[in-house]
Amino acid sequence: MKRLLIVIAQLAGLLLVSQLGYAIASWLHLPVPGNLLGMLLLLALLATGVVRLAWIEASASLLVRHLAFFFVPITVGLMGLGDLFRANGAAIVITLTVSAVVGLCVAGLSSQRLASRRERRPS
Amino acid sequence: MTSGVTWFCIGLTVGAYTLSRVVARRYPSPLTTPVFFSTVLIILVLIPTGLRAADYEGAKGILVSLLGPATVSLAVPLYKNRRALLTNTLPACAGLVVGSLGTLAAAVFVARVLGLPDVVRASISIKSVTAPIAIELAPIINASPAVTAAFVIATGMIGAMIGPWLLSATGIHDPVARGLALGTISHGQGTAQAVLEGELQGAAASIAMGLTAIFVSVVAPVLVPWLG
Repeated sequence: MKRLLIVIAQLAGLLLVSQLGYAIASWLHLPVPGNLLGMLLLLALLATGVVRLAWIEASASLLVRHLAFFFVPITVGLMGLGDLFRANGAAIVITLTVSAVVGLCVAGLSSQRLASRRERRPS
Repeated sequence: MTSGVTWFCIGLTVGAYTLSRVVARRYPSPLTTPVFFSTVLIILVLIPTGLRAADYEGAKGILVSLLGPATVSLAVPLYKNRRALLTNTLPACAGLVVGSLGTLAAAVFVARVLGLPDVVRASISIKSVTAPIAIELAPIINASPAVTAAFVIATGMIGAMIGPWLLSATGIHDPVARGLALGTISHGQGTAQAVLEGELQGAAASIAMGLTAIFVSVVAPVLVPWLG
């Protein structure tokens, strides 16, 4: 019971940070998702020690573990889009696969090259 | 007033998700991924009851209101793994900038060559951004949140399936580089895969997922209309 109250209180805190993120985005007319600003705000609060990890950790890790749940209501919206996928299914799969392969290779090779250069340098 | 239909849809969503977690644990496969499995299940229930996507909107509004705090919570893994970033700042930042721009440009280019419609092209450009942020980024760049979410999840599956093999085949063995590539391209699902390889890979992937979302959110509103 006490644990449940703690999780609810932490959830309220996270909701507050998230609402602040949305408010900042609309005040400043930033073309950036409000929830992203909320995430950066929480990161800044943790980094500066204003908020301690222990204050929010139980609730945050619960939400991260079940993050997938929050996408389900969005993907149900695909229900009305069956034709789009029937008409373009193969092209979509090719686009997704090719771009994933390009991205994985480019990201992996560039960071590996830079990492190994640094290791070779005597320190 | 919350109607009966809305309550039914909320119950259905929670039920489908809970069931999908059980099924995914018992029969792990790309087809039992909770998002995919729950979505199919919900649509299969909605069709015979005569409910349409519009009837589901009420439930969606309530459930999606928790997406904000859930996204904010991603700051926690980012904060916990900050050491992995601080000791590898240059290779990590270079890798994720080049990787996320590379995959974005490749997606837009291939989509254009294959003649995909505008809304699909815009939606596919941000498919390497973690879903909660991509869903919110979509309207900013004239993409559809639902289509974007589907692409994000498909990209996660593709990267987690072929990523480890592809990285080994191209001689990428550095643990930070492997984690970084998986997190940059396949966000949450790539991170889950990287965690299986090791702690350093997992930390690098989790950092890369967060930073890629930040980077792409900033550049996409400018870059995507320009690439067309």
